[in-house]
Amino acid sequence: MNGRLFRMLISLEARKLMSYRGDFWITAVANLIATVVVHWFLWRAIFSTTGAETLRGFTFEAIMVYLIGVNLIGRVVRGADLQLEIAGEIYDGGLSRFLLYPTRYVAFKYAQHLGAILPEVVQMFLFAGGLIAIFGLPADAGFSVGTIAMTIPALWVGNLLYFLLSVPLQFVAFWADNVWSLGVLLRFISMLLGGAMLPLAMFPEEAAHALRWLPFVACYEFPVRVAMGELTGAEYLVGLAAGLGWCGVVALASVPVWRKGQLGYTGVGI
Amino acid sequence: MTRYFRLYLHFLRFSFSRAFEFRVDFWFRVVMDCAFYAVNLTFFTLLYGQTETIGGWNLGQAYIFVAGFFLIDAIHMTLFSNNMWWLPILVNRGDLDYYLVRPVSSLFFLSLREFAANSFINLLIAVGILVWAITRYPGDLTAMNIAAFALLICAGSFLFYCLHLLFILPVFWLHTNRGLAMVFYSIGKLAERPDQIYTDFTRKVLISVLPLALIASLPTDTLFTGLTVERILHFAAVMAGMFGLLLLLWNRALRGYVSASS
Repeated sequence: MNGRLFRMLISLEARKLMSYRGDFWITAVANLIATVVVHWFLWRAIFSTTGAETLRGFTFEAIMVYLIGVNLIGRVVRGADLQLEIAGEIYDGGLSRFLLYPTRYVAFKYAQHLGAILPEVVQMFLFAGGLIAIFGLPADAGFSVGTIAMTIPALWVGNLLYFLLSVPLQFVAFWADNVWSLGVLLRFISMLLGGAMLPLAMFPEEAAHALRWLPFVACYEFPVRVAMGELTGAEYLVGLAAGLGWCGVVALASVPVWRKGQLGYTGVGI
Repeated sequence: MTRYFRLYLHFLRFSFSRAFEFRVDFWFRVVMDCAFYAVNLTFFTLLYGQTETIGGWNLGQAYIFVAGFFLIDAIHMTLFSNNMWWLPILVNRGDLDYYLVRPVSSLFFLSLREFAANSFINLLIAVGILVWAITRYPGDLTAMNIAAFALLICAGSFLFYCLHLLFILPVFWLHTNRGLAMVFYSIGKLAERPDQIYTDFTRKVLISVLPLALIASLPTDTLFTGLTVERILHFAAVMAGMFGLLLLLWNRALRGYVSASS
């Protein structure tokens, strides 16, 4: 796919999402407020019960920064994950026209996926800036221009990996009528095992160690720890390489599913 | 009343036959909900790895609370959720007309016509988890308190339905694709934590104007502390208020509905 078409698709998709901008902003603000309120009260209750200054290396302030950060970053990583456009096009026969286009289908869909996250990226920076303006720069987190710059590639890898993880699940639409549940399943599992609900440090040590080998950590915990300045240069490079490695593995695993699905695809739609 | 009961039996029959036409989807949804249960139980187990109590509840009590929430969620998913999903689509397409001309309450018809047979399996699983959580609880639970808990779980389910629909109804005026349903899903997180963690103003809001704490948390608290007259009146007042508001907005929405151009 040529660069011009790729950029055009990104722009079109971003504009499409913004056609419901009232809905988009209200939902995002409500989500942010609910996230802050739930985490603040929950962790305040835990810290006041234990009387500890830190839990598994996290102060109250640090855990709040982590959980709010992972919420903002997670929205960008997942994008419009539950729209399941690929599955929809397989189901209603819309895939047929893409098979005739002189372009790669998954690359086309990825361009659209990137377009859908552009407003989320803008929101992430606005909300993070707003929270810093209200509560001040957290003392425990090592935010800097450098860590923010390092977060962008980490975020892109997380986003690409999440997209690639969802692709074979959507290909199941070649055989099943509605794969929405699989998208939700991916979201639940990746959030728990990737450190979006709790930092992996809160898991038992052996479990946390094992979870760092799974792909989900590249989607959530890794970009947040990069932004918080918790990783050394070597750890950062290893994390990026691991994320990209998983992208390759998942992409390769999707190929036979796509081929097999295409063989049985009739294009009749509903 | 008999007519409505018979009508509901027809809804059930149609829903089950439709569900069994798409058997793979049927099991996908069962697996999805099981994952939801496993993720939440794991989350609370990990939280309690850091502390003995949260908001005054130990792990055994928290399991009952979480299982109670699963049950309410499963009831909602089984009875109402699919209907809530379709409502904005019907409004935006102008397909609501078909339901408004029926000789039955439109609110009844549109809230209950689709029964999610696959979620019914999850409802049974949620009941199983709740029974497991109650039987492993080491403290004494009286039959009276268990009965009060069961009653308030039903009340919590009704409030869940009212709140969800109240957030969808703006679709009649805002013309967005889902009303404010996504806002409801976001703030719904507040109902998934024990109400004792909230303090002052936030807790007052959550037990009155936005009664998310009444959905699962206060019913669970009643299981441990017993049902008081004050609590019965509290639930009755909030439920009456929410349902009254729902009826008022529903009637206003239908008066303003102008079919396809709505």
